[in-house]
Amino acid sequence: MKKLMNAPDAFVNEMLDGLVAAHPTLVREDRIIRTRHAPVAGKVGIVSGGGSGHLPLFTGYVGSGLLDACAIGDVFAGPSVASCVSAIKAADGGKGVLRLYGNYGGDRMNFDLAGELLEMDGIATTTVLGTDDIASAGAQEAGKRRGVAGIVYAYKIAGAMAARGADLAEVTEVTQAAVDACRTIGVALSSCRIPGAAAPSFTIGDDEIEMGMGIHGEPGIWRDTLRPIDEIVDEMIARLLADPVPVPSARVSVLVNSLGATPLEELFIAYRRVAQRLKSEGYEIVRPLVGPYVTSMEMAGMSISLLHLDAEREALLAAPCDCPFWRVS
Amino acid sequence: MSITSLAVHGAIRRAAAGASRAHDELNAADGKLGDGDTGVMLQRLFQALAALDVEDGADLGATFQAYAKTCASATGSSLGTLVTVAMMTLAKATKGRSEIAWSDLGGHVAALRDQMMARGGANLGDKTVVDMIDAVALALDGASSGEEAASRSVAAARDTLAQFRNRPNRLGRARMFGEKTIGLDDPGMLAFVRLLDSVVAEPVGR
Repeated sequence: MKKLMNAPDAFVNEMLDGLVAAHPTLVREDRIIRTRHAPVAGKVGIVSGGGSGHLPLFTGYVGSGLLDACAIGDVFAGPSVASCVSAIKAADGGKGVLRLYGNYGGDRMNFDLAGELLEMDGIATTTVLGTDDIASAGAQEAGKRRGVAGIVYAYKIAGAMAARGADLAEVTEVTQAAVDACRTIGVALSSCRIPGAAAPSFTIGDDEIEMGMGIHGEPGIWRDTLRPIDEIVDEMIARLLADPVPVPSARVSVLVNSLGATPLEELFIAYRRVAQRLKSEGYEIVRPLVGPYVTSMEMAGMSISLLHLDAEREALLAAPCDCPFWRVS
Repeated sequence: MSITSLAVHGAIRRAAAGASRAHDELNAADGKLGDGDTGVMLQRLFQALAALDVEDGADLGATFQAYAKTCASATGSSLGTLVTVAMMTLAKATKGRSEIAWSDLGGHVAALRDQMMARGGANLGDKTVVDMIDAVALALDGASSGEEAASRSVAAARDTLAQFRNRPNRLGRARMFGEKTIGLDDPGMLAFVRLLDSVVAEPVGR
């Protein structure tokens, strides 16, 4: 696993320098990225954060109709409390800030501490946690599930709701409902390596696949020899549909996501089967997404996220947004 | 003899040296259950703390507050943030005091255990650093000197590490490895033992 870099310690900072150099709509302030116009007076701010190594997640979704600001940590390590504080302040336009991030222990502690520190400054905050990874805990322990690729749908819904002028309670409620309506499962074919680490994050045989593996190599449901993609997709779709959501819908959006090394060609082979399977089960797909949306550096594999829609969620998904990696016009 | 800001900073410096010595061992332990970065994170964090200027006779609350602020900027890892929480808790508890008695140390450690549980969501028995701190808090109860505190806490920490080795991790990323964690030391617990060994390597209180 060779890497194009100068030094492990410089990896994140130089990546952020390049990101803002390529996208002048973004502003970097140490370990936060914000939009050039943040904070927007009178609008609820949307903030996220997490470890580096997952681009476009998290900082790549800073833009209009999405995130106002984002705190970023080292590779696979949460953002510091100080970065979380800065990101929330950068997003606060006077109507409060939604903290929207994946359900990981360190991130939770850091954003909670940041929120408490800012209470004294009069900044109201709420929290919605991404919990879409169905392989990370059973349905009866859904609150323990980790957040993976499905969080980009939550970003879109939250950002569009805030852009409409909704208040903090409304934005929070609609975003939580979107998280509750979203399920993801992933498969991994190869590992990744943190810059400077002596070994890959995990090992997997050249001929093996792991069903349900998380985006940092968290163990999944089973590991076996690789099989045709249609069989893999069929199992992933069956697992997603078997996991209950509060209000199921026959209209769904689907994200077929590369974990980094898997090329678009393979994603489209997978999407072809996803569309066939969902159609045969009576679902209509709305605004599908296919590409690298949430990655784990050079990890090969993919995830499938399913978002059940209602009329409001569908309209919010169709609302305009513009960031370096996702544009709806 | 009591605990002053200068004594605390001496302990921090020894912990920093201990974190450097244990760097590879902690990374390897974490590599079996996590990202393999516990050693590098703790080394960086304690070096940043050790680099702070602390004056003799300084307000303990201000000293711990400075540590908390440094931690809050230096790390975002869950173990590192628990160190931040510990420093914030101690800052509040010792505000306005230039020294605390050894006999009060157990109570302070118990208070930071409770704060860490509330923040991190760990329960006793989950096989986390909180189990280690609980054991040390209980062991310190009734200790009235630095020597007594050192010997009791080291014994409790080593016992706890051994007791938990053959139990499964029940929190965080390590939880997902389930029964495979039996027989492995929790990286946070192991780090606590290594840092504590370094802290008590010299007579505490200097």
